[in-house]
Amino acid sequence: MHTFSTTVTRRALLMLIAAALALLGIVATSGWLADSTRQFSGSVSRMTSLRVAAGTLLSQLQDAEIGQRGYLLTEDRQYLKPYETATTAVDATIARLHDLAGGNTDALRIVDRLAVLAAAKREELAQTIALMEAGRRDEALAVVRTGRGMMLMDDARRSLADLITPADAQLDTQLSTLIGQARASGWVANLGGLFIVLVVGGAVWIAFRYAQDLMRAQSAIQALNDTLEQRVSERTKELQRANDEIQRFAYIVSHDLRAPLVNVMGFTGEFEAGLASVRAHLDRQPADGDAAAASEARRAVAEDMPEAIGFIRASTSKMDRLINAILALSRQGGRTLNPEPVAMRALLESVVASFRHQASEQHCTIDIEGHLPVLVSDRLALEQVFGNLLDNAIKYLDPARTGRIAIRGRVEEDGLVVFDVADNGRGIPPQDHERIFELFRRSGVQDRPGEGIGLAYVRTLIRRLQGEVAVESVPGQGSVFRISLPGSLAQLSETHLHDA
Amino acid sequence: MTHDTQSACIVLIEDDEGHARLIEKNIRRSGATNDIIPFTDGTSALAYLFGPDGSGRASMGRALLILLDLNLPDMTGIDILARLKANPCTKRFPVVVLTTTDDRQEIQRCYDLGANVYITKPVNYESFAAAIRKLELLFSVMQIPEAVA
Repeated sequence: MHTFSTTVTRRALLMLIAAALALLGIVATSGWLADSTRQFSGSVSRMTSLRVAAGTLLSQLQDAEIGQRGYLLTEDRQYLKPYETATTAVDATIARLHDLAGGNTDALRIVDRLAVLAAAKREELAQTIALMEAGRRDEALAVVRTGRGMMLMDDARRSLADLITPADAQLDTQLSTLIGQARASGWVANLGGLFIVLVVGGAVWIAFRYAQDLMRAQSAIQALNDTLEQRVSERTKELQRANDEIQRFAYIVSHDLRAPLVNVMGFTGEFEAGLASVRAHLDRQPADGDAAAASEARRAVAEDMPEAIGFIRASTSKMDRLINAILALSRQGGRTLNPEPVAMRALLESVVASFRHQASEQHCTIDIEGHLPVLVSDRLALEQVFGNLLDNAIKYLDPARTGRIAIRGRVEEDGLVVFDVADNGRGIPPQDHERIFELFRRSGVQDRPGEGIGLAYVRTLIRRLQGEVAVESVPGQGSVFRISLPGSLAQLSETHLHDA
Repeated sequence: MTHDTQSACIVLIEDDEGHARLIEKNIRRSGATNDIIPFTDGTSALAYLFGPDGSGRASMGRALLILLDLNLPDMTGIDILARLKANPCTKRFPVVVLTTTDDRQEIQRCYDLGANVYITKPVNYESFAAAIRKLELLFSVMQIPEAVA
């Protein structure tokens, strides 16, 4: 799921980057096209100005000629007015043409030629007018008849055409380039747009599919969650049933084992009572006749049979204790725990007080140290746990040194409450650290009474209190029994116990 | 009208014949001469106590003292106790529960159902014998009511 999501993210990102690049391309092409268009429109406006200026120059020269002709025909100075206006304006028009030609050397050359032609024309016109004013009309007409003025005008027309034609051609080229560019730009915009639509559509589709997968996964998780509670409670019930089965089994076994034991003990008692009467009878008999047989019978009655009965009794009472132990453990497993706030200091003080007599007999001290909080737990079970541990600690003190027993409490960071019951007794060899918690198993020299029940009982109780018990010990130095318990006993298993 | 204990019958419902024999021996030893009617299973005991029709009228006019073991092969003694105490013809018979179990809840249940005495069979025979003999002491002072309809 994780790799899938990164792949999806990467793929969608790549597609969006591609779309962005395409968009940039479209923008750049459009910018290029706009630039070309601006250049072209600049060229067009310059061309238009050139045409206008060329037309103006031609019309000014013609105006000047018209004025000259009118004066030559009528000798009326009135007709010289257009001539005078035009000749003064020609210079400005030529200067404008010069400007418009710009950096184009061909065009400048033509403009210079036009300036020369215009100057020559004005000179010819001025000459004829001067002759006319001097009254030499025939000479003036003769100058006109030479055709030089007409020739100059034709030259000027040709030069103006030379100026405009290449500019027109350039304009055409520019226009066709512009059209090409516009077409290319259109293609780029269309293809890019199509590409963007495809890429964005793809990204949207991927995102949509991913969202669908997420939703599907979420609903699957939801379904799992919904059934989880049910499955947990089913498993708990199964475990509870198995546990109950073991409890019942232990109870039945211990009970049914006990019934025959009552008979063994009972009839042994009857046997013993009968034996006593036989012995009394034999004692009253005088020792005569078959002396050997009689003394053998007396020895059997006085020694062998009581010995046999003694062994039967010792074995049955041991068996009875073992059965009682199993019964007690199975009962403990079935007892309903009653969690309540338990002030540990007060509880430990009362447990220690109940051992005061035993402890003073052994000259040992029992200290309670550390942080002892209030637990929410089963008071009776806690009393039994610490009672058993203290009983063991006192029972297995080392007579070679003064006994010191300490109960230390502390609260761990995770909220667990830890109690150490530490002694400086005989200690337990490492190979027995696990074994001592098993039922009927004991460690070390078997010089103290007991059946090996206490620690098995402690472990059962602590597990029911949702805790753990472990031992650290060095033979010859002492032992530390460490109990960790939750600050508050969860009631869950108890409710299931009642449901089952 | 009441019978004195000398004429009362002891109904002994006990599946273990050894136990039954030990109980009987100790009852006799204590000097009681009452008839003892033994049953080794619940079904036959119920048939005797409630009659073939199961109504309990069979016990009308009887004076019975019932020694009851809880662990029977075909039913638990608690069922028998409950039926005895629920039937008007048998509810006044003293019932002594005599069993190997010393479970506190079990004991409480028996008393709740109306058991008169609850005795745990000790494995230690001397204690067992003493308990039975003390029981006889109880018989001697107890007035056994005749079952009335």
